[in-house]
Amino acid sequence: MSVTTESANHGPGAPRPAPRANRLVSTRAGGEMVRNYWDNLFTARERGATVVWYNGAAINPILQAAGVEWCHGEAFGARLAAMHLEEPAQQEGEAYGYINELCSYARTTLGCALLTRKEASRRVEVDQAPGVPDKEVLAARLPPPDLFVNAYAGCSTGQQWDEISYRLFDKQLPFFKVSYPLLWGNKPDAGYLRGEEWDNASKYVAGQLYNLIEFLEHQTGNKFDWEGLRESMHYIKRAAQLRLDALELCKARPTPAVFWDWVASIAPINFLPGNQALVDYFQGVKTEIEQRLEQGVSALPNERYRLAFDGIMNWNKVGWLANKFAEHDAAVVCGRYTHNSFWHEPQLIDEDDPILGMAQHYLLCPFNHSAQNLAEQVLGDCETYGIEGIVFHATRTCRSATNGQLVLAKMAQQRGLQTMFFEGDVADESFYKDEILQSRLEAMLETIDVQRTRLS
Amino acid sequence: MEQAAEIEEIIGSLARIAECPSDYAADWESRTGGKVVGILPMNFPAEIVHAAGALPVIVQEDDAAISYGRSLLHEFYCGYTRSLVDQAATGKLACYDGIFLVDHCVALLGAVDAIRFELPDTPVFLAQFTASMDETTTRPQIAGRIGELRQRLEELCGEPITDDAIHRSIAAYNRNRGLLRRVYEMRRAGRIALSGRQMQALVKSAMVMDVEEHSARMARLLSLLEAQPPAPSAKVKLHLSGHFCHAPRPELFDMIESCDVTVVDDDIYTGYRFISTDVPDHADPVEALTGWYFARNNNVPCSTRAQKTVDWESYLGQALENTGAQGVIVLVPKFCEPHMLYYPELRKEFHRRGIPHLLIETEHEGLALEMLKTRVEALVEVIRRPAVIREPA
Amino acid sequence: MKSCVMGIDFGSTTAKAVILDLGGRMLASQVAHMGAVSGEGVAAAIAGALDAAGLAQADIGRTVATGYGRRMLDIADRNYTEITCHARGAVAMVPQARVVIDIGGQDSKVIAVDAQGLVMQFTMNDRCAAGTGKFFEVLARAMEIELEDMGALALQAQQSLKISSMCATFAETEVISLLAEGRSKADILGGVHAAVATRTVGLVGRVGRKGPIVMTGGVARNPAAVHYIEKALGEALILPEAPQIAGALGAALIGLDDYRREHREELEGDDALEAQMALDKACVPGCRGVPELAPPPATAPRGNAAALWKRIQSHL
Ligand code: SF4
Repeated sequence: MSVTTESANHGPGAPRPAPRANRLVSTRAGGEMVRNYWDNLFTARERGATVVWYNGAAINPILQAAGVEWCHGEAFGARLAAMHLEEPAQQEGEAYGYINELCSYARTTLGCALLTRKEASRRVEVDQAPGVPDKEVLAARLPPPDLFVNAYAGCSTGQQWDEISYRLFDKQLPFFKVSYPLLWGNKPDAGYLRGEEWDNASKYVAGQLYNLIEFLEHQTGNKFDWEGLRESMHYIKRAAQLRLDALELCKARPTPAVFWDWVASIAPINFLPGNQALVDYFQGVKTEIEQRLEQGVSALPNERYRLAFDGIMNWNKVGWLANKFAEHDAAVVCGRYTHNSFWHEPQLIDEDDPILGMAQHYLLCPFNHSAQNLAEQVLGDCETYGIEGIVFHATRTCRSATNGQLVLAKMAQQRGLQTMFFEGDVADESFYKDEILQSRLEAMLETIDVQRTRLS
Repeated sequence: MEQAAEIEEIIGSLARIAECPSDYAADWESRTGGKVVGILPMNFPAEIVHAAGALPVIVQEDDAAISYGRSLLHEFYCGYTRSLVDQAATGKLACYDGIFLVDHCVALLGAVDAIRFELPDTPVFLAQFTASMDETTTRPQIAGRIGELRQRLEELCGEPITDDAIHRSIAAYNRNRGLLRRVYEMRRAGRIALSGRQMQALVKSAMVMDVEEHSARMARLLSLLEAQPPAPSAKVKLHLSGHFCHAPRPELFDMIESCDVTVVDDDIYTGYRFISTDVPDHADPVEALTGWYFARNNNVPCSTRAQKTVDWESYLGQALENTGAQGVIVLVPKFCEPHMLYYPELRKEFHRRGIPHLLIETEHEGLALEMLKTRVEALVEVIRRPAVIREPA
Repeated sequence: MKSCVMGIDFGSTTAKAVILDLGGRMLASQVAHMGAVSGEGVAAAIAGALDAAGLAQADIGRTVATGYGRRMLDIADRNYTEITCHARGAVAMVPQARVVIDIGGQDSKVIAVDAQGLVMQFTMNDRCAAGTGKFFEVLARAMEIELEDMGALALQAQQSLKISSMCATFAETEVISLLAEGRSKADILGGVHAAVATRTVGLVGRVGRKGPIVMTGGVARNPAAVHYIEKALGEALILPEAPQIAGALGAALIGLDDYRREHREELEGDDALEAQMALDKACVPGCRGVPELAPPPATAPRGNAAALWKRIQSHL
């Protein structure tokens, strides 16, 4: 395998050691948990487990209580991209006919599906590459599905994508779709967590979740474990609350943790089983932050600017971006993808009867809102965290993450916030333009400087 | 001869209306004093707007280069949605008393949200139709949404919409679709030689005109066409597929037809897809319109819907068998997600059936027609090759 | 009946002409480099081929044109797209080829072909320069090296760098910042070639790997491009000796079929030709690689160029 450097400007010849992000240590445990989860999943077939491939909302507690193992396609795509191992899957997708402007999550995961099919038909021994993980092998390691569930909110492509997954496996496998209305706001009473539309949508989705449970019972022959569901939702609710408490602590100046640390905590809250280990993990994160506050340790050596990040993650560039912002003394304190997502309204969950609250969280996908709703949340967070500028990730192949962004930027500007856009993508690094990020970030930070002198 | 001239004249006048729907709408408004409602593709039941006494106009892509709209919608959105937003930003949607939609393609929603921001005084109403056709919960949802539409339109137009009015509108639209389908049948049978540009004008004008007025012109046109001698063609017969929510540029049709090609059929939005299905009979008109939503996708499947039981590719294969088309040109609007997702499935089927095809990505900014022409010619050469290249036996 | 046919490939940066006799043997071929689509270039190519074969325009029974400028040539009896002609020419040169990669100045295309050189499927890059000769040209300029030296230098790469942008403009900035970082030109060029290779393999994927792959077009003469594409494909490419003339050869062969069919009766007396035609469905008979050059006839008329140029000029 060849050595690849991440991109331009990152070579041995780079000048003075730039300030780097002081990342949380506790999140490493999450990395370990996630790795174990995938390693375990890879052997699902050998263990005789039933495997569900799903996309979209975190329906994993339902799948768990149905006695099946769950494989979140997007999450695997993101993982491949973060490990820089997405290429074989994407090439497979391209050969199959996908144009590169198509959602790169979908392209990557469908590429994995094609590779999985290939592997399954060849019955290849997958673990033949000692040491270095072979690129193609990792992308091909997903266990073939027994069922599909699609639960994608906020993006029509998300639903169509599994319509294709279903076809890639010859339309032979059972397939259930949960549909979500966009929280659009036709009526004056509509808004974040309120109004008739919100109530109706919540009920509609909850009804579908009950149907999903019936479908799973029917397909697997397993009796649905309601007690198990209540239990995992109990843990998830606690973990979610700890995460929120920890986020809150970052109101401090300088902030003890940044957006990039929260990105590292997405996978655990998004698809790991709800249990004590999950609670312990977030307790650990919270404790580390508390300690940092006590000891006066901050996320950046010299925090000078406080920014928000809007849009979906650029998985190829997480570490790269973390350092890039650190170099400029810019603390990215909050973001839509981390702060307005992932069981972030735990008070909605009734532990004894969790379905409605779950349905509501699925509807609260950060990409399932009108621009008006978004403004309410994102601009609210900007106030909470003392933000001076918003960095928008214009995600080339993800229309659902970019919907409303330009409108939101205008609304932010009206409130005196600085805004900038940079181009990139969820899982295709060819769309990332370092020069654009660099020059626009510098320009925005300069403007913030100027703004400060005017105000003082 | 005179007849031919009248045919030209009718189609020409429809084409002019289709070119500039807002002029027609303004004229209609001043004639009738009714409201003009801008509706968006693809599954909107125009009948309900008509029953409210308003004029439903499907807002079309506009030729103008994108200007102010750039600050509202990213460049990596399909040309149609960028054009919609630009029209809003440049005051071109002022002729509509409201914008209504039922479809929720992710790009379309982004565009409409931007329009709502840009035009705060224009009512914008989304009655989101669930796109998954398979679940039992979908049908009641659709009926509920049509009910909401009805209510909102009553508010806008200031009058209740009666069941009878909806029934009458359904009949008027069914008749109109029937007339258009007749032209399509004649084209498939080689009875007429209307160009792609002309065919598009017929359907596109139906999307923006008062339905009775359009039907009257169509009826006259049909009687003239039926009196014409058959026009069999020795050119290569192609099927045009794709563009399922807005019109391809007519220059594209001209270019394709200039390569010794006759287009015998299509499944594009401003074509057969739009007229494929009548609203079924039902005592409850809302039920009838709900049924139409499902029936349309059964007849001409669309990749924006999620339905396990139908396939676009099998539909296409069948359509080609019916018309004898020798190849397919697939028109994908650049950045159109549902189409990009589905294209490989089409391709697989074309390979399986040995159908030559060509993929063309269209863009709002226009097309490199000269380059594309080479590809169309190559497709024609591929189709023609046994006759041209092989030694006679 | 005339004794020869001609194929002309009026390309964007070069013009090529090929002359075949009625037995399908190549009498002459000529490549003229003339910058952008140029009448002068095509005239030079035609005249050069005629001169080399010792023929005059009047000896040519059928002329088929291809390439961007094909419709501008009134001396051609027919014209075909470069897709059809490249496929035909490449299979004539390499009969076992089932996929043709053709990278020229302005476009790159991948064509799946059948045993007779007929197009099964094709795909082309879009209108931007991504992965074409132009892309290399822009980057050679950015790095201040000669286009011709690029390939050799790229082969000396020690480390693989990743150039992620396929847009020529952005790749240029990427390359410049890599230079600023102190990366070696060889490494950067390796990255550039690898990027083009990835792009090309994507196109191959689109038509499917139907069998042995032949590479034609100007870029086939760049050893680094070939190396990186082979690496990305994981298989060897077949390179004809004169990759640039595939289009013109294909055009000539199509002209030959056409002419021979038209004159079937007259040709019937000629036993040798008959036998060949029976063997020959669509390929040059007995062809291995580039068709052999037949010795030019003794009486070689000269001075075709001026007259031809005049004729062509009036149609540009
Ligand atoms: S269906 Fe395609 S063309 Fe239509 S709005 Fe959606 S992305 Fe655009």
